[in-house]
Amino acid sequence: MTIELTGPGGPAHEGDPDGAGERVGRVLGTADATPLTFWTAVSPDSYLQLDDVVVTHRELPDREPVTIAGVVTGVRARHEGAQFDSDVFAIADGTLPAQVQEAAEITTTRVDPELYVPPTPGAVVYRAAGDARARALHFDRMERRIPMGMGRDGVPVYLNADFLDGSRGAHVSISGISGVATKTSFATFLLYSVFRSGVLGGDAVNAKALIFNVKGEDLLFLDHPNARLDEATTAAYARLGLSAGAFPDVRVHAPPRAGDASGTPDVSSRMTGVDSFYWTLTEFCADRLLPYVFADADDERQQYTMVVHSVAAHLARYAQPADGGISIDGVRLGSYPDLVDHVVEQLNDDETRADWAGSAVGLGTVNAFARRLIGSKKDLSRLIRGDLATRRPHSINTSESAQVTVVDLHNLPDRAQRFVVGVTLKSEFERKEKAGTAKPLLFVVLDELNKYAPREGSSPIKEVLLDIAERGRSLGVILIGAQQTASEVERRIVTNSAIRVVGRLDPAEASRPEYGFLPPAQRQRALLAKPGTMFVNQPDIPVPLCLEFPFPAWATRVSEAGRAPSETLRSITQAADPFAVIGSGGPADDDIPF
Amino acid sequence: MTDETQLFVDSWDPSFGASFEAAGGGPATPSSTPVDPSVEIPAAEWRPVDPAPGVPAPEVVLLVDGVRRIDASLWTAEPDGASYPGVAASYAAGVVRCDLGRGAAALAGARVGRGLFTASPSAGDVVAGQIRYPVHRVGGTGELARLQAAVQGPLTELEVAVSGAARTDGDLLVVDGPLRNRRRLPRAIGYIKTQHSQYLDARLTSVVTRMASGQRSPVFALRTSWGGWSWYLRLPVSTGAPWAGIVRVECSPDLTAEEAIGLADLSLVTLPRFASSPYKDPRAPQNLVPIAGLERRLRAMLGDGRLLHRVLTSTVRRGGRR
Repeated sequence: MTIELTGPGGPAHEGDPDGAGERVGRVLGTADATPLTFWTAVSPDSYLQLDDVVVTHRELPDREPVTIAGVVTGVRARHEGAQFDSDVFAIADGTLPAQVQEAAEITTTRVDPELYVPPTPGAVVYRAAGDARARALHFDRMERRIPMGMGRDGVPVYLNADFLDGSRGAHVSISGISGVATKTSFATFLLYSVFRSGVLGGDAVNAKALIFNVKGEDLLFLDHPNARLDEATTAAYARLGLSAGAFPDVRVHAPPRAGDASGTPDVSSRMTGVDSFYWTLTEFCADRLLPYVFADADDERQQYTMVVHSVAAHLARYAQPADGGISIDGVRLGSYPDLVDHVVEQLNDDETRADWAGSAVGLGTVNAFARRLIGSKKDLSRLIRGDLATRRPHSINTSESAQVTVVDLHNLPDRAQRFVVGVTLKSEFERKEKAGTAKPLLFVVLDELNKYAPREGSSPIKEVLLDIAERGRSLGVILIGAQQTASEVERRIVTNSAIRVVGRLDPAEASRPEYGFLPPAQRQRALLAKPGTMFVNQPDIPVPLCLEFPFPAWATRVSEAGRAPSETLRSITQAADPFAVIGSGGPADDDIPF
Repeated sequence: MTDETQLFVDSWDPSFGASFEAAGGGPATPSSTPVDPSVEIPAAEWRPVDPAPGVPAPEVVLLVDGVRRIDASLWTAEPDGASYPGVAASYAAGVVRCDLGRGAAALAGARVGRGLFTASPSAGDVVAGQIRYPVHRVGGTGELARLQAAVQGPLTELEVAVSGAARTDGDLLVVDGPLRNRRRLPRAIGYIKTQHSQYLDARLTSVVTRMASGQRSPVFALRTSWGGWSWYLRLPVSTGAPWAGIVRVECSPDLTAEEAIGLADLSLVTLPRFASSPYKDPRAPQNLVPIAGLERRLRAMLGDGRLLHRVLTSTVRRGGRR
């Protein structure tokens, strides 16, 4: 009886008979092999890294063999034959024989056919390539695949479009530390991929995106090619089946400059192709936008909510349009501060208070409301206007806008940001509700979701976002929400997201149950994920996929912006203003043509 | 081999799985072996020898060792009603190649053997699962103690077989135990950890026990058919016991005295480096680090003793013999 020593894994580089790649090792038997996780000893002349995809087979009596595929979720190397920590010096010295043995933990992603038997220790493990890899990651079952980026092995990984467009699920939740997690970059890349990969077919043409830009002017250059785009990045896009370029059809909206009577957009770096957005006093009253002035979750807890709704109803009933402004109680009001002053005056008057606020409201509550309302004057006066021509285009309406509509909020104070987000989402959602069909799709990208839909309390914006999260799937409104901490976002919004994405996480945050979909090893890795690395969990695949998405092909700041596209070279005044002033810019049929 | 011979495995066996290494300590019995101490230094001037200056340690050191284990004790039931004891033993021998230049120690070859050792005239090979224990018939009455010693023969053969592993110029082969019939191998020394016999007279022995760590005795010659050139060497050791850390090294009698002295100098710059530390190895420092590692590897290759015992028990009960 003689046993000659050979390599523990046997000869490597032999292919799997079923078309998987080279053999990398064998299932080891010194640790439990279970149907869901098992360990593989790696052959001395091979290696496995985290996120590699492997496949093994299990023979069964009287049945077809079971193919067990999985993803490497842990790797370790150790000296076999060493007993003490200090033995490593003797081994490195060449006096103690020891063998370096690597082992990899595999988390099963697919068992085919679905017989949950453990792999046999000793079974050969192959690196999955080509079709075997696609099967292991369930890509073969995806009828429509949206490229999301490259896996660690440099091969594309896909998102099942069924879980994005509402067919079987919708909404994306992206979490990660600000700055390094590249949440907005991933959101925009995902949009680019959705629009440009051709996965949505004809729907892609009409699908719209509404992006709220909350930080810097990062997203204002989506339509500018990135001057720092190099060949490697272009090649990466090509591997994903995408052409590297800017978003072709972008409309940028910015709030009017504070204190500027002409309503020019408040942007500093992008000077052309920006429209300003605001609401007229008439719209403010008729559409009952007043509650969105009190959109802080704090506000909802106060007694004066009753007053808010009562005043909003009063304004809706009695305010009459009057040449841009409104007229109420025989007074013409030409600006938001005027409106506020008038409302406060009426509330302070004992005779009119009951008409405005209702009869059962105490004076203290009314005063609290009035105080808050006065406080909003500074923030909202630039957004709610009575001094600009009514026919001038000023509203955000994605159905009439370009494919991508960017709403710039970064210059606005907190209360104004909430007002814009709340009102815009409400009107878009109501419009989709009226349309009644899911197509065309509307993607809404909103950062700092924890601010708009906090876990605690309620606010009008949170109601809208909850509506989108719960009913948006059938109405074709897809929320791509980003936040630093998913634990601080309303649970129903997070749980309704079919796709969960994690960039670099804060250590304390990573241990929260909201990230339970991350296996422990990935949770640890998320603490040191570098920019551009994301972990994407989708319902199809039981293990989150680690991917790197390519550097944006569009400019993300002014220094990167290449030549502006010709459409945007028209100045804002050329686009709209002169005609609006003389009353012929609007599309209404009843205008006198000349 | 007859079908009527039955085997029984002792269900409980105190020696099961135990390794039976000789105990350490100093030489107890004075030996009558004729010794010529005046090979290197005249007997009257005997003194501890320091490492010779300018002798470089070899780049590559190969160490050979073997392990053995009793997997089960058996009893035979002969057709004539007699009964013989037997042992099913596993043994393995291997070479570890310590490449000190590169800093890598690796197994350069290993073999595993098994056998059923018994005096029974009728017992045949035992096949337990995928393991075969070929029968090794032992002469005489075959009492248990002699059976265990009988394992040494095949093990030594195995050690000799693996000792011929790939050699390179300037290397040194260290054999655990006497050289025996490996004398023809070049640059080979036998390394005897435990001292049973006292070859030297009292005066010379006091020179040996006076040696400091890293010193050796002068080379002396054992004038017997199996003997050869030999010397004592003290490995690095902290306790001051007279025989602590002292090993005997021998080399082939076919070498000249100069060659033997050269090997003695070479062993003095090589072996202390391999000495083990007491908290890691109960047989420190004599049990060299590479040999301890090799033994661990070899024991792993023997397979799990409890598993083999179980398989043997169930096989024998079913009469699975050939």
